[in-house]
Amino acid sequence: MVRRPFLAMAFALWSLAAIQPAWADITVLVPSGSEGDGLRAAAADYAKLKGSKVEIVQAPYNNVFEQAANAGQSKSGAFDIVLMDDPWIPFFAENGHLEDLTPYFQKAGKAGPDDDFLSKSLALCRNPYNSGPYICLPYVGNAQMFFYDAAKFKDAGVEEPKTWDDVLKAAKALTDKGGGRYFGYVFRGGQGNPVVADFMPLFWSYGANLFNEDRSKVTIDTPEGAAAMKMFMALRDVSPKGVESYNANEVGQALAAGTAASSINWPNWVATFEDPTQSRMVGKISYTGIPAGTKPGSSEIGHWTMGIMAAAKNKQEAFDFMQWATSPEQIKVSAERGNPPVRTSTFTDPELTKQEKFRHYPVLMNAIQASTPRPRHPKWPEIENAFGIELSKAVAGTQTPEEALKNAQAAVEKIAGTK
Amino acid sequence: MTRALPTPTTSHHARGSGLEQWVERHLRILMLAPAMIVLLALTIFPSAYMLIAAVTRISPNPDLPWEFAGYQNFARLLTDQQFHIGLRNTLVFTVAAVTIEFLLGLGLALLLDRYVRKLNLLKTLLMLPMMLPPVAVAITWKLIYEPQFGVLNEIMFNLGLPPQAWAGDARLAMLSVIIADVWQWTPFMFLLMLAGLASLPIEPYEAAAIDGASAWRQFRDLTLPFLKPVIAIALLLRIMDALRLFDLVFILTGGGPADRTKTLSLYIYQVAYRFADQSYAAAISLFVLFATVAFSTWFIRRMRLAD
Repeated sequence: MVRRPFLAMAFALWSLAAIQPAWADITVLVPSGSEGDGLRAAAADYAKLKGSKVEIVQAPYNNVFEQAANAGQSKSGAFDIVLMDDPWIPFFAENGHLEDLTPYFQKAGKAGPDDDFLSKSLALCRNPYNSGPYICLPYVGNAQMFFYDAAKFKDAGVEEPKTWDDVLKAAKALTDKGGGRYFGYVFRGGQGNPVVADFMPLFWSYGANLFNEDRSKVTIDTPEGAAAMKMFMALRDVSPKGVESYNANEVGQALAAGTAASSINWPNWVATFEDPTQSRMVGKISYTGIPAGTKPGSSEIGHWTMGIMAAAKNKQEAFDFMQWATSPEQIKVSAERGNPPVRTSTFTDPELTKQEKFRHYPVLMNAIQASTPRPRHPKWPEIENAFGIELSKAVAGTQTPEEALKNAQAAVEKIAGTK
Repeated sequence: MTRALPTPTTSHHARGSGLEQWVERHLRILMLAPAMIVLLALTIFPSAYMLIAAVTRISPNPDLPWEFAGYQNFARLLTDQQFHIGLRNTLVFTVAAVTIEFLLGLGLALLLDRYVRKLNLLKTLLMLPMMLPPVAVAITWKLIYEPQFGVLNEIMFNLGLPPQAWAGDARLAMLSVIIADVWQWTPFMFLLMLAGLASLPIEPYEAAAIDGASAWRQFRDLTLPFLKPVIAIALLLRIMDALRLFDLVFILTGGGPADRTKTLSLYIYQVAYRFADQSYAAAISLFVLFATVAFSTWFIRRMRLAD
């Protein structure tokens, strides 16, 4: 009496497991937040339009890297497309996790992506950088901008911050006046990715870099690096207490609540600052490029790009979806949904630029074109972690800025194997 | 119900009959098999995989073969500064948090057991933090500690005290993590101690009272020895759990600032998933496993729990 229902249930479960992969034509791994939400909405549109089944798997930022790396390493074919943060590209590309898109472009009768994409956006999607074959397509055009309260800066004697000295002058005056409740500057000082992301633009603005041209030498502990670090520490001294643990949310909240006057930030925060339900600073925050140090200012680029996994089950369908999602029409739809574009036509579209919520587009387009990518190294996550620990110690005051540079130089040399 | 008897002359029926008899004979094993397979898959396979991974070099590139690395991943533990920092932080956290939780749990249990035995609602309220998911606890304390908008600094500001960076201050970060953990896990200690106290015999206390023993003497010479097995089990469970601390630091501090709250579990996670070095992560995990087993064995013998 028991045996037959038991066997029937086992067979039913096995059948369900066996047909599971057929539920979706393509599976896309995306991050939580506006970038992933945008692609999720696009996938729903695509499914309606083409009758395909596009399954979106959404995970927190760190988990996207982990899940994609696991899928790539085990060749599981769990995902057809991964929406990647651009510093991950060297890891995935150099470990054979990504499909070369050249044959797919050839089959479509194209040499590659069209030239409406911004050149800096396309350069990221080639491996090696800006020279190798395309292994992804840009989707979200993130690059840092400098956000500031123009009225407060004007009160402090700075019309528009062109240099880091201007920023420090205004920030110091505002913090001194703030009585411990208002600050002239705020930044992401949290250990690891946050502090590195907010230090790199300063580092580049003073002519420093992590590696030399051919990546054969680490160049952190240099006079240029020391100059950048000196300014970074001066800015820390006019920032809120506890900035050592700040990430994007804390920085965004400080600006939106009107308790800090300026910061480096990513463009997806513009929507929050201009939303009266989330911000006290609607219409009051101005956007400009990264200020100059001893060299012109340069943003850190942080694009979200779509790549096909080498072990994907439906590669052609995945390519067709990527082509559709990054077309001019769809990038415009994506921009209207809150994601910064990667195409010149979208950045200059009068229908968008006449709207107040897109007033930062000219600044953002220039920021992307003047941006610098994080070092293209397959061990970037490990390098970023080591550099982030030493920077965190300097910000927390547990070691001197000089020690931080020296220790970071040694740690990165060890990881990169350059010594 | 009637069934046709099998015809012995047809081979088909003979096989069917044989299969049915075989199934009948092995039905217990067959019914247990799925659970046993799941158990093996969840315990034996991961352990074996971890052991093999620890003595090999696994590349993130699936086309590169695994290389035998021998003891090299374990030798790396001796010179890896990040591992040493993680080990030190884990030990500091475990000793401090478990000690405070034990003392508070025992104190609360003594207080409630003796004076407010009937207040079940209070006992339930005290147990609430333990029932919350650690992620919710971490997010709650992150908001409490938030330097600009957090309730703790608001209170300090209103009292005229200097606001602190709490989890963002290298000097206070570990303390902040310990406070959050103590808030969540003191109720666990309290619950076990309360159960232990409820099971104590009353006669020795009556005899001690007749002999004029003070409350302190009764606590030292009767309560503590009687509670020893409960205390030992409570400490063992909490120590093993504290040695694995991950979620609280992952959300509250991310291991920072200045590496002051990086625990071994957090470091293993980083090595395995951020740096994609599964072999070294397996070696650290094995070290933690053996250290925990060795400590537990010593502790059980020392407390004579087996008796």
